[in-house]
Amino acid sequence: MKRFFEKFVESALLISGSITSITILLIIIFLFKEASGLFTTPVIEEGYELALNKTNPVKHLTSYEIKEIFDGKISNWNEVGGKNEAIELVRLSDLTKYYTEAELGSNFENIPAKSSELTSKHPGIILFLPTSYIKKDFNGTLLKHETLHPGDFFGGKEWYPTASPSPQYGLLPLLLGTLWVSLGAILLSLPFGISVAVYLAEIASMRVRNILKPVIELLAGIPSVVYGFFGLVVIVPFLQKLFQLPVGETALAGSVVLGIMALPTIITVAEDAMRTVPRAMKEASLALGATHWQTIYKVIIPYSKSGITSAAVLGIGRAIGETMAVLMVTGNAAVIPHTLLEPVRTIPATIAAELGETAAGGGHYQALFMLGVILFVITMIISISIEFIGKKKYSN
Amino acid sequence: MTNTRNIETNTNLSSPLGARGSLDVRGLTIDAKNVDFYYSEFHALKNINFEVSKNEVVALIGPSGCGKSTFLRLLNRMNDLIPGTRMTGSVLIDGEDIYAPNIHVDELRKEVGMVFQKPNPFPKSIFENVAYGLRVNGIKDKTFIEERVIESIKSAALWDEVKDKLNKSAFALSGGQQQRLCIARALAISPKVVLMDEPASALDPISTAKIEDLIHELKKDYTIIIVTHNMQQASRVSDKTAYFYLGELIEFDKTTTIFTNPKEHSTQNYVTGRFG
Ligand SMILES: Nc1ncnc2c1ncn2[C@@H]1O[C@H](COP(=O)(O)OP(=O)(O)OP(=O)(O)O)[C@@H](O)[C@H]1O
Ligand SMILES: [Mg+2]
Repeated sequence: MKRFFEKFVESALLISGSITSITILLIIIFLFKEASGLFTTPVIEEGYELALNKTNPVKHLTSYEIKEIFDGKISNWNEVGGKNEAIELVRLSDLTKYYTEAELGSNFENIPAKSSELTSKHPGIILFLPTSYIKKDFNGTLLKHETLHPGDFFGGKEWYPTASPSPQYGLLPLLLGTLWVSLGAILLSLPFGISVAVYLAEIASMRVRNILKPVIELLAGIPSVVYGFFGLVVIVPFLQKLFQLPVGETALAGSVVLGIMALPTIITVAEDAMRTVPRAMKEASLALGATHWQTIYKVIIPYSKSGITSAAVLGIGRAIGETMAVLMVTGNAAVIPHTLLEPVRTIPATIAAELGETAAGGGHYQALFMLGVILFVITMIISISIEFIGKKKYSN
Repeated sequence: MTNTRNIETNTNLSSPLGARGSLDVRGLTIDAKNVDFYYSEFHALKNINFEVSKNEVVALIGPSGCGKSTFLRLLNRMNDLIPGTRMTGSVLIDGEDIYAPNIHVDELRKEVGMVFQKPNPFPKSIFENVAYGLRVNGIKDKTFIEERVIESIKSAALWDEVKDKLNKSAFALSGGQQQRLCIARALAISPKVVLMDEPASALDPISTAKIEDLIHELKKDYTIIIVTHNMQQASRVSDKTAYFYLGELIEFDKTTTIFTNPKEHSTQNYVTGRFG
């Protein structure tokens, strides 16, 4: 009977373990599957064509070049490898500038013919129009439907998924935004967190510690919106005043809020590490006439170095994945930040803010999943490095 | 063996107790009077009176839990680290009350070194372990530190075994070597008194014999208090022996007297192994 019961518990544990592993695996597979389509999405919006004059030597435009042309930032073909010729951008609605409504027909039935004619007459033209208006004997070059190049994503400097006709899915501003905010957070919270950990582990009396430790652990349980709210109401206006900024919602505000959020983790983990320093080690130091402070920085901190490193890495991990609070205080401008005093946007914030507005399966949707994959990879690197640090500790 | 004490004359290792010149009139190195000690409510030491002269080796014996370690740790104020403890009475070292408010505990511990029951080297190199006490003393002079480290390792009878690997981790040494390293570490700062809490209890007979030989050598320069459960060891190394029982100092006399002709019945029982 007892044996049967043990067997039963054993298999129950096995099943729940396997289910958990499979679920996690499925989530990862799902993430990668949804993201994988990104590099097969066309550079140009589906159902549209870009047409050039036949004499134009340019046969290929990158997603970024298209966007720059449509933004008017590139205005000459020689900037994209063509002749010295002004770019003449024509959208469907612009056709009325070249032809009267009568010429285009009352039901626009003449648009295919007229656009073909227009393209053949203007050497510098780039015509953007729905595929349905392109007739078979169209007199011009249709740009080939290319798919998004990985370089456009990983090296892309702009995140502008609603850009028309070529949405921009550049990772760099979001990745840098994430890294800046996280780095700032860790630089702010690490020294402070370690000081508090030293205080709690070594200096505070039992009574103070018994009060402070639970309070700090409680901080870890506060929902992140509350931190975001606090950041928005207190930190953002404070930073704006302090640095005389046009807006207070900056990377720094995000760093401060995240730093505060990471503190409980850092303090708890670092303090635990310092508490594991064997009493014999401390007593050895003190018995040699070292003062308490000398013992702290010559024995306790070096001895708990790997624990402190784990604390830092866990803190960074928390900062990198955090969404809500950051979304609320960083200003959410998807531009590459040059200082901590500019608005930025992080990867998690982007996913949270934009996923609701995208069509499942579209390029934008897939790009957001690809961001999820990137985030997953970053956190995985962090976990692996924690593991590595932990291993090193035991092999010592 | 070189004389490890004379180094003091050409160093800046100050002697915070001796420097004040308040040597005990009777020449006692340790003079504990009416000492009572409590762990919170637990009365661990009861009215202990204990006198030790310079360069004596005193063994503390007694059954487990009788308060030997507690008493030893009173002599360098290690018990201060345990919250909720309380002491009454006085402990004089070289005539100075080490529990007086003006005493700096870290200065005291430079005078009264300690070797623990389990070897507890730092996770540093062999060299750095021995240099630690000098460095926390504020000594920066490299050649002095080097000389002192080598000399201490030699005094601890460890030199031949480690001279080629001073920069290796101390953890790479055997238990017996680690314990002698800990002794070297304690000697490096030239204490007056060396407290040893069962220094050989974790060691094999050969290492134990080395440490006992070492104690004989060190006796010339240091006053040594050693806790031991090994009666032969106590009789081999010590001049005097103190027998503790249930927090009381039952008998304290010449080692030969304690082992051959003790006054107290309970001492007799203990040293002959009929007890405890
Ligand atoms: N930190 C402490 N808190 C409370 N009681 C303690 C503490 N340390 C020791 N004691 C108690 O004080 C008494 C004396 O302990 P001590 O360690 O001095 O004994 P000992 O003679 O060294 O024993 P052993 O030979 O086993 O090392 C014991 O009864 C012990 O339970
Ligand atoms: Mg003991």
